[in-house]
Amino acid sequence: MKISMIRVYYGLLLTLGVLIMPSSLANDINNPPVKTTESIPAKNWLEHLTTSLKTLNFSTSFVVVKNNQAEPYRWYHGVNSKGIELEILALLNGPRRDTLRRGNIVSYFESNSQPYSVNSSQISGPIPSVFSFDIGILENSYDFVSVGKSRILGRPAQIIRIVSKDANRYGYWLWLDQESGLLLKTALITREGNLLEQIQFTYLDIAPTLATSLKHLAEAELPKVVNLSTQTEKTQFSWQVNWLPLGFERVKADRHRINLTQQSVEFMQFSDGLVDVSVYVSPSKSSKRGVEFVKDGATVVLNQVVNSKEISVVGKIPANTAKAIADSVSFRGIR
Amino acid sequence: MSESKFETVSLLVDNYQQSDEKFDAIIDDEQLSDTWDRYHLIGDVIRGDVSSSLPVDFAESISQAIATEPTILAPATKEISPKQSIKGKIVQLFKPVGQLAIAASVTGVLILGVQQNVAQNEINSVMPNQVIQTIPFAGVADPVSLNFQQPDRKTQKSIYIEQQRRFQALLSDHQRQIKLKSINDKTSVKDKVEDSSK
Repeated sequence: MKISMIRVYYGLLLTLGVLIMPSSLANDINNPPVKTTESIPAKNWLEHLTTSLKTLNFSTSFVVVKNNQAEPYRWYHGVNSKGIELEILALLNGPRRDTLRRGNIVSYFESNSQPYSVNSSQISGPIPSVFSFDIGILENSYDFVSVGKSRILGRPAQIIRIVSKDANRYGYWLWLDQESGLLLKTALITREGNLLEQIQFTYLDIAPTLATSLKHLAEAELPKVVNLSTQTEKTQFSWQVNWLPLGFERVKADRHRINLTQQSVEFMQFSDGLVDVSVYVSPSKSSKRGVEFVKDGATVVLNQVVNSKEISVVGKIPANTAKAIADSVSFRGIR
Repeated sequence: MSESKFETVSLLVDNYQQSDEKFDAIIDDEQLSDTWDRYHLIGDVIRGDVSSSLPVDFAESISQAIATEPTILAPATKEISPKQSIKGKIVQLFKPVGQLAIAASVTGVLILGVQQNVAQNEINSVMPNQVIQTIPFAGVADPVSLNFQQPDRKTQKSIYIEQQRRFQALLSDHQRQIKLKSINDKTSVKDKVEDSSK
């Protein structure tokens, strides 16, 4: 008798628990993101990220997941006693692809080309360089939204969304370490909610002192700095791009040969701060070829021939946007 | 008769009481005691106790068995190589572009992962669609024609290869051009001075 009483009692408790649980869970999902983090706006989180990326000594590993493949990287950053930033980014699988940075010199070591250096304060890698640059330049084209909290890499994380103001771009989701503000995870997601690429950090160590390899980098001899043509603004072509999503500006224009095919092209690159879009124009043997495109993760490569001109658009943008950009190219004298 | 003998062993293994004579008969009969062993081994495997019941020289006895096998000479593989080489080329070109065809499936899985971390109402309104992959390639016809028209198939393939090559070239040039870009913010002017003084 006694036992059955106890059973009934526990049964009641369980039932109560079950009744209460879902409603509290539902609350968790629907409300708190905005409520609990309203005190710290999303932009402050991003600024915190930028500061941390520039000032902290950290050693991390991360994995880029796209196209059913995972690419592991190691990434070190530090600031030495002279206040110079040192950075190493190395791809760990397959042919070596190492990137070093010392202050304003970035050196790329790749298996398929001679090592070279560029005068730049940003490494160009899988992580958008704008995160360690100035997030403010994105405000024209993107909104920053604080979404909620999560647990990533065993740490409490703050989720921030970078949402495009128009429908022509993808959005970024960032999971930031609540303590240090550093990245724990990023995802590139379409407006429909499809995941295209993601970066998951697998190790993060923040130390008061420089990593040993960074100390070596401070003394290392870096490859010769490539002289980047400064005539971007002056270069004139017989064609122009008439439409781009809001916030894109021309950052480059030149004539060069494409390494793999030795095809010479006229080239313009545009950027909205987060995304780079390249437009290539060259004469074609065929007079017309319909639009073709492939996707590598979030990067679309689109190609078409119109009036014996081959027009290609490459960048982390939706295919429709790339098509619209390609269609907007007009030639002087023809139109 | 032998059927029923094995049945007796089976019953014994399963702890069904049997007469002593039957027990003795099993011990005396070599075939039956082997069966007894085997039945117990099967039982062990089913219960997941294999490691303890496998003899230590297990691998050795297999390698001995292999050594005594007659050698079979492998048939020449050259004949199929022309076909393979065509296939190989395509795969090689494909890989750098990024195994585009398979991406959709993993995307689905990854979306699930994201959804869990994210306010549900955000994503429920935008259920995952299939990611667009390789879209109408002008040069590539449907597979049926590939099987029936040999000459066509060749030109189709070369168009396809050329196309993949073009895409790959553009992609790698795009990435290279991003690297060949100078981004300088105001805070690092100090570094520049320091570095040039070296």
